[in-house]
Amino acid sequence: MKNKVIDFYGKRKVFFGISMGLILIGIICNIIFGVTLDIQFSGGSMISYTYNGTIDENELKNLVQETTPNDQVSFSISKNLAGNNDQGEGYYFTIQFPGTAAIDAEVQSEISQALEAKFPDNNFEVSEFTSVDATMGAKFFVKCIAAVLLASILMVIYVTIRFKKIGGMSAGVMGLVALLHDMIIVYFVFVVFRMSIDSNFIAVILMILGYSLNDTIVIYDRVRENKAKMGPKAALVDVYNLSMMQCIRRTIFTSITTLVAISSVYVVCLVYNITSIQSFALPMMFGVVSGCYSSICIATPLWVLWQLKKKEKVGEV
Amino acid sequence: MKRVAKPVFFIVAILIIALAVTSVFGVTTQHGDILTTRIKGVSDIRWGIDIKGGVEATFQPADGVTATEEQLEAAKSVIETRMVSNNITDYELYADQSANKIIVRFPWKEETTNYDPYEAIEEISATATLTFRPGNSYENTSYADDGSAVMTTPTGETAATVLLDGSNVKNAQAGVITDNGKTQYIVSLEFDDVGAKLFEQATTDYLNGTISIWMDDTLISYPTVRNVISDGKAQISGDFTAEEATALATKINAGALPFSLETVNAGSISPTLGANSLYAMGLAAVIALIIIAFFMIIVFRLPGFVAVIALLGQLSITIVAVSGYFPVFNSFTMTLPGIAGMILSIGMGVDANIITAERIKEELRNGKSVDSAINAGTKNSLSAIIDGNMTVIIVAVILILVFGPFNMLSFIFGLSTTGSIYAFGYTLLVGVISNFIMGIAAARLMLKSISGFKLMRNPKLYGGAKNEK
Repeated sequence: MKNKVIDFYGKRKVFFGISMGLILIGIICNIIFGVTLDIQFSGGSMISYTYNGTIDENELKNLVQETTPNDQVSFSISKNLAGNNDQGEGYYFTIQFPGTAAIDAEVQSEISQALEAKFPDNNFEVSEFTSVDATMGAKFFVKCIAAVLLASILMVIYVTIRFKKIGGMSAGVMGLVALLHDMIIVYFVFVVFRMSIDSNFIAVILMILGYSLNDTIVIYDRVRENKAKMGPKAALVDVYNLSMMQCIRRTIFTSITTLVAISSVYVVCLVYNITSIQSFALPMMFGVVSGCYSSICIATPLWVLWQLKKKEKVGEV
Repeated sequence: MKRVAKPVFFIVAILIIALAVTSVFGVTTQHGDILTTRIKGVSDIRWGIDIKGGVEATFQPADGVTATEEQLEAAKSVIETRMVSNNITDYELYADQSANKIIVRFPWKEETTNYDPYEAIEEISATATLTFRPGNSYENTSYADDGSAVMTTPTGETAATVLLDGSNVKNAQAGVITDNGKTQYIVSLEFDDVGAKLFEQATTDYLNGTISIWMDDTLISYPTVRNVISDGKAQISGDFTAEEATALATKINAGALPFSLETVNAGSISPTLGANSLYAMGLAAVIALIIIAFFMIIVFRLPGFVAVIALLGQLSITIVAVSGYFPVFNSFTMTLPGIAGMILSIGMGVDANIITAERIKEELRNGKSVDSAINAGTKNSLSAIIDGNMTVIIVAVILILVFGPFNMLSFIFGLSTTGSIYAFGYTLLVGVISNFIMGIAAARLMLKSISGFKLMRNPKLYGGAKNEK
C-alpha cells in the first residue's frame, strides 16, 4: 500500500457531482415541505390552562397535538402553588404556538372543549393568553450571521498567513466553500426530516463551523510539507494526491471516533425517547460525514483546480 | 531523542486519574454538623430546565407603571445579562409588549433543596442597589436562619445621605483573603473616576468614623475608616459565604433595572425531559468512551492507550470548567444539548493523538527506530494540530465575545446576550485548551516516558513493523 497513490484529483468531477446532486435533492425537498421555525425564532402565542389533580402528561400532550392543526406546538407543565384545592394539587399547563399569526378563537375553543371532555374532573380553565415576541428574532439571526462572517474572515486571514507558501488565500476561501457546503447539508437534514429550526439548529451549525475547517487544514498542512520536500519542480497534482494519501487514514479515523460519539448519543436517545436530543444528534451525524467528505472531495480538489487555472494564466503549465 | 524519565508516565497518569475522580465526585469535608464543599463534583453542576426543571415567573413594572417598548426591552436585557453573568445559560425569556410583562423561565440553582420559586427569583430580579452611607444607624434587627443578625432600614444621617452608589462602580469581583489565618470571602470594588473622587472625599470627611455599606435596605458591613483612600479601590467584607460574595459581585456588575419589577406569578416547572434523561446521557457517554477506547487501542496500540488516558484528563478538565471546581466559581448551566456536545468532544478529542500516532507509524515504516520515530512523529505533526485547532479557537472566541456579557458587536446590535450560544463558545474553547494540555502535552510526555521501558520498545506496539511489506 505504500507506493500506490490514488488519483484523488482525477475523480473530482464525480465528487462535485455527488454534492450538487445532494444539494439539488435538498432544494426540491425544501420547496415541497417548506421549513418551520420554532417559537423562539418566530414569536407566537401561548395559552395557559390551570387544572387540578394528576394527569398523565403524555396523554395530555397527545390530546392537544391531535386537536391542533399546527404540528409544531410545544408544551410545559408547571405547579400552580396557589391553585391547590380538594381535587388535588394545582398545575399550569402551557401550550406554545409558533408563528406570527394569532391562534384563532376556533382552535382555542376546540382545545378547551377537548380538554374538558377528556378530563372532566380536572377543572381545566384558561388562565392566560399571551402573545410573545421572538426571543431570537430577525435581529438575532443577523447577529449570528455577523458573528459567522467575522469568524470566517478571521479564519481566512489566518489560513492565508500560515499557508502563504501554497497560495494561502485560495486555500482559505476553498475551506470556506467546504464549510458552506456542510452547513447547507445540515440545513437540508432539518428540511428532509421535517424538524423545526430551533436552538439545536444553531448548535449544530456552530459545531460544524468549528469542526469542518479542521480536516481541511490538516490536508493543507501535509501539502505544505510535501511541497517543501519535493521541491518546486514536482507537479501540483502529484503533491496533492500523495498528501491526500498520507492524510486520508487520519481524516477517516477522526471522523469515525466523532461519529461513534455522536451515534451513541443518538442511539441512546432513540431508546429512551429523548426527541429533543435526537434532533441535535441526527443532523450532527450528517454534519460529521459531510465535513469529512467535503475536505477530501470538495475543498482541496477545488484548491488544486484554482492553483492550476492560475498557473495556466501565467503561462506555465 | 531527549528521553523523558520513566516515572513521569506514572506521575502524569496518576494526576489525571486524581483530577478525573475529584472532578466527578467532588471533595467535601465534614466539620461537626456542617458539610463544606471543597471541590465541586458533577452533582454540584447547575442542571438545565430540561433535566431538573426550574422556575417560571411573570414580571410586571411595579406600581402600575406602563413601560415603553424600549424600557421593557432594556429590562429584559438586564435580566438576561444577570442570568448570563451568573452562568445561567439555559433560560427562556419573553417580553409581551401588549400585556406589559416579562416572562422568564430558568433552572433551579445547584443544590437547591426547598424549591421555593420566590426565593429563586430573587437571584435575578433583585434591584440590588449598593450604597455607601455615613454612620451605621438602623431601625430593625432580625435574625437569619443561622442565627446571625440582619440589620435593615437606615435611619438618621445614614438614611439621609448617600455618599456614593453602585453606579460609580466600574467593576466588582468576588475574592478571598486570609485574615489571621481565617479565610474570608470579600467583594473588591473598583470605582470609576467620579466614584474614586467621591470615595476619597468620603474617606476624608469620615476619617476614623464609620461608613456603612448597604445592599438595598440591608446593612452588609460598616467598616471604620482608617485611611483616606484615593486609589479608587475598596473591599467589602461582611461574613459572606463564597456564593454570597459571588452573587453580590454579579448583582453590582449587572446594573440596575430601569424600573422596579413586581412578580405577578411564579411557579415551578417540571423537567421537560424525563428524569432518566440524565442517566441516558451518562450511559451514552460511557458507551462512546468504551468504544473509542477499544478503537484507539486496537488501531494505535500503545499511543492509543496513552491517548485514552489523556482523553480522560481532557474530559475531566471540561467537567471542571463547567462545575467551577472551587466553590467560589458559579457553575455553568448544563443542558442536555450541552452534554451531547461534551460527548461529541470525546470523539473529536482524540484527533491530536490520531494525527501523532499516524505520523509515528509512518516514520517507523520509513525505517526509523522507535525513539526517532516518536521524536519525528511528534515534531512533524505539531503544525497540523495547531493550525487545525486555531480555527476552532477563532470561532469560540468570537462566539464568546459577541454573545456573552462582553457584547462585542453592541454598537451595531445593542446590548443583548444569548446564553446558550455563549455557553457553547465557552465549552468549545475549554475543549480546545484541554486538548492542548492533555491530548498534546500530557500525552506526549507519557508516550516519551513509557517508551523508555525495554518492554515498550517493540515497533509493533506502535503499529509499525506489521504494516511493512
